[in-house]
Amino acid sequence: MSTANTQAPINPLGQWLSRYATGAVLIVIIYAALYTVYAVQQPRALTSYSIAALMNNTAPLALAAVGQAIIVISRGFDLSVAGVISICNVTLAVYPLEGPGGAATSVAICLAIGAVVGLVNGYLVAILKIQSIAATLATMIICQGIALVILKAPGGYVAEWITYEMTDRVWQVIPVSGLVVGAVVLIWLALKRSIWGISLYAIGADETSAALSGINTLRVRFLAHVLAGCAYGLAGFMLSAQTATGNPTSGTPLLMLSFAAVALGGTSLAGGRGGLFATVMGAATLTLLQKVLFSSGISSFYTGVFQGVVLILAVVFCGLLARLGDDR
Amino acid sequence: MSSTASQQAKSVRSEGALTLAASGLRKTYGPTVALEKADISLTSGQVHALLGENGAGKSTLVRILAGAVQPDAGEMYLDGTPYRPTSLMDARGRAVATAFQELSLVPNLTVAQNFLLPDLPKRRGGMVSARATSEAGKEWLAKYELDWIDPSATVGSLPLADRQRIEIARALKNAGRVLILDEPTASLAETSWLFKQIKKTTDRGVGVLYISHRLSEVREICMQATVLRNGASIASVALSDASDGDIFEMMVGHRAAHKRVVRDTKVEATRPPRLRANGLCGTDLRDVTFELRPGEVLGVAGLEGQGQHELFRLLAGLAKPNGGQIEVDGKPVKMTGPRKALKSGSGIAYLPEERKTEGILGGLSAATNIVLPFMPRIAASTLISPGMETKAARAAAQRVDMSERYLSFDIADLSGGNQQKALIARTLGTGAQTLLLFDPSRGVDVGTKQSIYAAIRKFADEGGSVLFYSSELPEIVQLADRCMVLYGSRVFRSFTGQELSEQNLVAAMLGHGRDEHDKGPVA
Repeated sequence: MSTANTQAPINPLGQWLSRYATGAVLIVIIYAALYTVYAVQQPRALTSYSIAALMNNTAPLALAAVGQAIIVISRGFDLSVAGVISICNVTLAVYPLEGPGGAATSVAICLAIGAVVGLVNGYLVAILKIQSIAATLATMIICQGIALVILKAPGGYVAEWITYEMTDRVWQVIPVSGLVVGAVVLIWLALKRSIWGISLYAIGADETSAALSGINTLRVRFLAHVLAGCAYGLAGFMLSAQTATGNPTSGTPLLMLSFAAVALGGTSLAGGRGGLFATVMGAATLTLLQKVLFSSGISSFYTGVFQGVVLILAVVFCGLLARLGDDR
Repeated sequence: MSSTASQQAKSVRSEGALTLAASGLRKTYGPTVALEKADISLTSGQVHALLGENGAGKSTLVRILAGAVQPDAGEMYLDGTPYRPTSLMDARGRAVATAFQELSLVPNLTVAQNFLLPDLPKRRGGMVSARATSEAGKEWLAKYELDWIDPSATVGSLPLADRQRIEIARALKNAGRVLILDEPTASLAETSWLFKQIKKTTDRGVGVLYISHRLSEVREICMQATVLRNGASIASVALSDASDGDIFEMMVGHRAAHKRVVRDTKVEATRPPRLRANGLCGTDLRDVTFELRPGEVLGVAGLEGQGQHELFRLLAGLAKPNGGQIEVDGKPVKMTGPRKALKSGSGIAYLPEERKTEGILGGLSAATNIVLPFMPRIAASTLISPGMETKAARAAAQRVDMSERYLSFDIADLSGGNQQKALIARTLGTGAQTLLLFDPSRGVDVGTKQSIYAAIRKFADEGGSVLFYSSELPEIVQLADRCMVLYGSRVFRSFTGQELSEQNLVAAMLGHGRDEHDKGPVA
């Protein structure tokens, strides 16, 4: 067969770079470099207390970005993330439930809120075939409205048990928030290797072909929105634990940053490619960048400028590496 | 299959009974009638051809039989029982499988995953086992003699021909009763693998529906043919009783003039070449040297993957050469993109291979698609009125014999043949004096082909230069003044005049009969 001898000579270095460096490795390297800068500036940065504090700051964005990444992989955009987080936050602040039992109920409530919004999104996007950005824009506005109905102005108190335990450290070392994010990533790694996970990447790359291959695209999309909603609910829970108070617009700052974290993690906004671990690292990098800028004495007004520049650099660099791999 | 069912299948096979019978199928999309009244019946263990021009309703019929589309009226029976699939999977459940022309593989999944979807082998806990998937894929590939394809390779990274083979193999796997092959040879340069697999399938008693524009292929493996014209089945004939002329007549409604046109070469040897490649090298291409003179039609022939893609991409500025030089009108040019190619010298316009992804802009009208590259030329200032656009598009469309009424349509709604005509009108309309046409008649019907040939010829007669690649040898023999054969990433041989015959081309494409010329023509 002629095909055997038409294989182009491969550039092993380029291939290696494109396989590993464009995925999670690149963002891990960026994070490590940034952390080194942080550690030099703030010698206390390496104490378990500081690490836990950083992790606590990271968790809400990381979880929001995880949900966003699931939708982006399926070639969609989800704006409802801001609304779900706001609703969860004000709910926890208006109806605090004390003790471990109360916390468990609160988590369940947050997951349920996320799942319900996800179901609505799934219905609009998968069944009614509304473009995901339009459908979730509508649900976001509705959710923001509901959040304002529950709590008119910032205030209220989140249950003490949640604010203490969820920001604490296990054995004085491991941050609880880190465990929550880690557990979500582990669940994802299992889901990614399920038929649903493979189908998710397939419909992200080519929905028509996926349907012609016998994939139930409706169900895959539906489930993606429900799972993403649950991730947002969890993000709202972790945000409340950290802020300890309610704010009907608390989810809004996380909206654009969730997209930034996804892109920074190398997940293609065109769908079909990317992963959740890299997304979590992207979120962590954005949060760490804020810390580094703060400790460098740069006004927080400039944080957005730096975050944007890092995002552009990372995406450009990622693209360069990918092209290196393709230029066989 | 239960034992009684298999006995039934056996008896069916011995009698040569019908597997799939459809009658009175009708499908409309709003006011457009895609299929008016189609009848077709497939015999167990036989290959049945479906012939017709583009727009005759072949695709719609295929989609109905495949379960992707439901008919508005008509009846279908599979092995004597009513057959009305509501989805592709429903049809697959009845052992009817389809290999689509516009391949239905998911590009970012592996070969094995594509093969096995939607049921991948699972381990305990519901996770998909990558190893078991890959091994199962390997077994299937071996079964269909595609061993050289890596089951773990991502489909998107494979050459088009391999992707088409995988699409076909997947349909073979799922076709217990009926196999539908829609243009299976569109990207396959040689058919022996396909025909062998089809033979194995018919031996199992499967009825095969074979759609192709290549009549010689159809004659080779099909016994019966159904001809569609304007959405209705005109006739079902035994191919042994019908001449090519009869079939063309049934397809187009008039006897196609089918004689070899011998052209006076008006190549102007005295003037400098329009396009000259000197020792051009790329990743899949070595040391290609040729000259293209005004008024010349130069063909490129080769089996799949001999570097023809890269040659055209280099000349159009879509890829960077590793070495060598491109000269336009005697001046060296560094091609940085198709826009640069269009602007250098007398201009080079490129017609890409993939009509759907690289050519048309769906959502825009056919007229806009045609005038796109030369909009600044027709615009009064920076604004373009619809009238100016239509006028410019009409002039270009006439050159390829494209009906004016299609100009206002969304190009995505047009048939493949009319889309191709629009794209060729676009390249002609640019005013470039050199055209690079990659498989200009790929997947279009006989009538459209003749219009395209006529347009190319007229362009050359008026002093234009054409470099074209074709996967169909009769096309090269009919159209080219000269032909380069690519083999093993280089120009293996060149033919002119009487030497330019199908036999010579085939031999050279397979690497035989190398002559003393080392680097193509010495013009």
